[in-house]
Amino acid sequence: MGITGRLALRNLARNRRRTLLTAMIISLSLTALMFTDALIQGMTDTMVRSATRLYSGDAQIHHRDFLARQDESRVIDDPEAVLEQLAREPEVAGFAARTLAFGMVSSAANNRAVQVVGIDPEAEAGVSKIAGAMIAGDYLSEAGPVTQLLIGDRLAELLEADLGDRIVVSVNNQLSEAAEQQLFRVSGIFHLNARAMDENLAFIRLPEAQSMMGLDGAVHEIAFNLTSASLATDTSLGLWQRLSNDRWVAQGWTELMPQLATMLQLTNSSTIIAGIVLFILAGLGVINGLFMSIYERTYEFGVLLAIGTRRRQLFKLIMTEGLILALGAIVIGLILGVLLITWSASVGIDYGSMEVSGVALAEIIRPQHRFMQYSALPFWVLVMTLVACIYPAIHAARIVPAKALHKSL
Amino acid sequence: MSSVIETRDVSKHYGEGDTLVKALDRVSLGIAPGEFTAIVGPSGSGKSTLLQLMGGLDNPTHGQVHLANKDITQMSGRELSDFRRDHIGFIFQAYNLIPVLTAAENCEYIMLLQGVPEAERRERVYAMLERVGLAGREGRFPHQLSGGQQQRVAVARAMVSRPDIILADEPTANLDSQTGSDLLDMMHDLNRNEGMTFVFSTHDPMIMERASRLIRLKDGCIDSESEREA
Ligand SMILES: Nc1ncnc2c1ncn2[C@@H]1O[C@H](COP(=O)(O)OP(=O)(O)OP(=O)(O)O)[C@@H](O)[C@H]1O
Ligand SMILES: [Mg+2]
Repeated sequence: MGITGRLALRNLARNRRRTLLTAMIISLSLTALMFTDALIQGMTDTMVRSATRLYSGDAQIHHRDFLARQDESRVIDDPEAVLEQLAREPEVAGFAARTLAFGMVSSAANNRAVQVVGIDPEAEAGVSKIAGAMIAGDYLSEAGPVTQLLIGDRLAELLEADLGDRIVVSVNNQLSEAAEQQLFRVSGIFHLNARAMDENLAFIRLPEAQSMMGLDGAVHEIAFNLTSASLATDTSLGLWQRLSNDRWVAQGWTELMPQLATMLQLTNSSTIIAGIVLFILAGLGVINGLFMSIYERTYEFGVLLAIGTRRRQLFKLIMTEGLILALGAIVIGLILGVLLITWSASVGIDYGSMEVSGVALAEIIRPQHRFMQYSALPFWVLVMTLVACIYPAIHAARIVPAKALHKSL
Repeated sequence: MSSVIETRDVSKHYGEGDTLVKALDRVSLGIAPGEFTAIVGPSGSGKSTLLQLMGGLDNPTHGQVHLANKDITQMSGRELSDFRRDHIGFIFQAYNLIPVLTAAENCEYIMLLQGVPEAERRERVYAMLERVGLAGREGRFPHQLSGGQQQRVAVARAMVSRPDIILADEPTANLDSQTGSDLLDMMHDLNRNEGMTFVFSTHDPMIMERASRLIRLKDGCIDSESEREA
């Protein structure tokens, strides 16, 4: 090893506690950055999945005017053609047609304005999680009676209704333009762990909904999932065009839920800002640690310069100390980061029933590894450390030997 | 014979206005090869300042310093660094050594900067450490050596790079009189047998006794000078 490396290593070993503390600042910053990224990844994933895979689906097809006007007469009147096209798309993992009606449910005790959704039980199970979210009774079945009705647990509480209780559902009939009422019985109660859904949704079978609303085979919405949730944000996919025409339009969740997309973007930017703040703090810590070690050695640097060390060589010495410190600290930080992410991913972080902008973090969050945590993050931490070293190194190289040696000479 | 070092009208002022200190005031002095010279004078008279300027550790306020027939006050920082490395040996009062390097490594350091090949470096270091009475202690770190031994390593380091002159600022001030006397004998020996030129700044009567030339400073000026048969 060259004399610079040898000097640098031994100098670092000299004040072990300070070296360790400075290294810890670097290591822990890296670990914190890695973990934050992993957590945000996990959280985003969970949030998008709760938002889309619980009920809405990764994407939906509607009549072009349906969402903007909330007009129940704007329907997809030829759903079969769209469903056939969906079946041909390789990126589509599951799809289900729905009718949506702004309606009223009344129990003996109470009534509530809710969204009454007509679903095809089998197809719906391939898109949303309702079938798996039943906490009482059964999911809708083709074989069962026409009066089957699913409500959320919160709605059941508000209606003071229990399994088997009678509920009157009323919706608007598009043909007669009059209210249409029919008697249902609570056949199942679900819990999606999302307040908006558990309180405001009621499911009946599609044919009953269509006949009550006078829709004659038409639907309002066709929800579908993609083979990978991230495809929903890929606007370059051909399927968006193929599934849209001048009457209906297929949209991914970022278009359907712009608030969620904005919030995720905000989360990303706040992570970046927090990262930058962390960087600056860690940089200041490194500068401080190096300065302390340089002030202590002013006399020694005076000697080194006096006996013929060039200023550039002294600068190189301090930078080498910083480089060794950074590399060691990064290795420690990486190990801590891998352990922390792996451990927290296996245990999972339970946010309970916390809702973020109306979307429940229904599932346990599992921080996720990704390549940049092991490449870009350590690289930037290394750059940060070396940048932080420059100032102390210049300071050391500028020492005037006569002044530094004044005590003796 | 021409001088190893020559100062011409060298002054060094610190501060300005009311706080102006004339640490050195128009000092002209030549050091001939083979001298064993002591600069003496009361505290604050400018002894250390004079050595610093002669060694190119600082620039004079005015005047010139010639070393090996070059005016070192005109040199760039890098030229001056290399010049100090190749032509001047320094010995300070204490803490001369780099604490993380062994005795041998401390001596080797300057030769490393000079680019002396490894085999030659080792040979010269070991011979020189033996010469100053430290054979067998080459691998010790400074904190494992006594004050007197540390100063011997400093002498060895200054000698081993074969400078034109060694400037020593109160090298015995931190040592007891016996250790100081031994160190001085050793340097005197190097002066007589190897012809190394030494300039000391000192309050130590032992150095004054052995010196071939005594320069007395007072308030930054040469007060008197005397030479003596060695
Ligand atoms: N860096 C400096 N800044 C300001 N004044 C200084 C500086 N260095 C030396 N001086 C002043 O210059 C004068 C000469 O100092 P110098 O150290 O050369 O004296 P000295 O003869 O070596 O004294 P001593 O015997 O105590 O070592 C003193 O008055 C001192 O205070
Ligand atoms: Mg002095």
